[in-house]
Amino acid sequence: MIAIDHLSKRYRQDILALDDLTLNIEAGEIFGLLGPNGAGKTTLIKILTGLTKPTQGTATIAGFDVVRQPMEVKKLIGVSPQEINLDKELTAYENLLIYGKLHQVPDLKSRIQELLEAGELTDRARHRVREFSGGMQRRLLMLRAIMSRPRVLFLDEPTVGLDPQVRRRLWDLINQFKAEGITVLLTTHYIEEAEILCDRVGILNRGRLIALDTPQALTARTGGYTVECLRNGRRYYEFVNDREEANRCALQETQGVTIRRTNLEDVFLKLTGESLAGKTEA
Amino acid sequence: MNWYPIFLREILIFERRLLRLGYVVSAFLMPLLYLLAFGLGLGRRVNISGGSYLNYLLPGLIAMSSMINAYTWVANGLTMGRLYFQTFQVYVQAPVSASAIVWGQVASGIVRGLLSSLILLILGVAIGSGLNLNLMFLLALTVNCLLFAAMGVVVGMRSKSHEDTANFSNFFIMPMAFFSGTFFPIKQMPGVLQVIVTCLPLTHTNHLLRSPFWDLNSLISLGILAAYSLGCLALAIFLVRNYSE
Repeated sequence: MIAIDHLSKRYRQDILALDDLTLNIEAGEIFGLLGPNGAGKTTLIKILTGLTKPTQGTATIAGFDVVRQPMEVKKLIGVSPQEINLDKELTAYENLLIYGKLHQVPDLKSRIQELLEAGELTDRARHRVREFSGGMQRRLLMLRAIMSRPRVLFLDEPTVGLDPQVRRRLWDLINQFKAEGITVLLTTHYIEEAEILCDRVGILNRGRLIALDTPQALTARTGGYTVECLRNGRRYYEFVNDREEANRCALQETQGVTIRRTNLEDVFLKLTGESLAGKTEA
Repeated sequence: MNWYPIFLREILIFERRLLRLGYVVSAFLMPLLYLLAFGLGLGRRVNISGGSYLNYLLPGLIAMSSMINAYTWVANGLTMGRLYFQTFQVYVQAPVSASAIVWGQVASGIVRGLLSSLILLILGVAIGSGLNLNLMFLLALTVNCLLFAAMGVVVGMRSKSHEDTANFSNFFIMPMAFFSGTFFPIKQMPGVLQVIVTCLPLTHTNHLLRSPFWDLNSLISLGILAAYSLGCLALAIFLVRNYSE
């Protein structure tokens, strides 16, 4: 569905936001892009949705080139950006109305009602968006993105800054999109979000794809268990294959030892020597 | 061309802001102050080209106010929408053409410009000023709004910050408002300045609003306004079409 071929993006002379990225995203999957801030996740979404042009390489969505056939591409996509870009002075209804007219959505009025009901926002339809909580704004943003029944949905950090309860409700909504057959490209730096939602995960670091597989395969390859310990005030990590090995490993340590299942954060740590939050570890 | 949703959004936001006093003050109070201060202060004593000063001043203020309102809302809205609220990105990611985006913005600028003109017109008539209201007057006023709304799109697309739009306004729009024959005839200026001022579009709007007749001079002025408008529109569409972050 999305074919990315040797894509690079250079800002000014010195900043390489994407470095020769090649990636295929299948129809109907939820694909997660994981990586620290500045890894190139948002840049990739901006290129695929026509906000910025790549320096090199090509990308197609359903066979349409994102640079040369932007109109065809824009008819197929929906975007929920990282920054909530709703018109906060307008009501929820007005926000959906304008977006629907922009995308020439048929039977607009009933589609808006349908979406407001799906998002449990019907009784707030005539309220200004500025009065909404963060979770409600995110929900409205996502409903707006699926309004034109897109075949591909881009969700850039869809749950950033929300409390866990609200986050779970949005996850349900995203799973619903998948059930409707929509291909979802999602960026996140929440490990749990990637593990729970995504069929496959690509890990980006400094514009390069450093790992690509299902979350289970990625953690299994790193080693099923992680032993975390403290040596002279610094955190160290050992990745081992099974519980027994983990126990043996833990016995050799003296301070602050934890044994746990490996998660995607550990995968990133092993591959880069850095944590997703960005600070260097051993 | 699907320009209407863009227009609709701008007008809905405009409507909301109209209800907030700060916006009304900044947009409408200034020309009103000029009208009252100069018009009532000088209006009864000073005569220009055989008529009262108030009669001279009112068309100039209408030209100025329509220019400022058509320009400012579009330029500021676009700069803020593009750089801070990222609402402009919604247009770019939608299947609408660059011309539709520009025309939607420009149409909303025309409405705002005409609305401010209307308020001045009503006020001016109320305090006893005669105007030549005919088709040429309306045409010139509309083209003037179109031109400065399109200029607003160009500046809004090029600005790297809110200060950029303010600077363009301070160094280009405001001087033009004062020197293009709004408050006094350009014939009273030094020769070199007269030549420069004759090249500015607002001078021609002023000329047309004061003598809206279908003669050669008016047609030349209208032609100059139309040429400026086409230039700004073409540039605006080019900038939106080649938008890349």
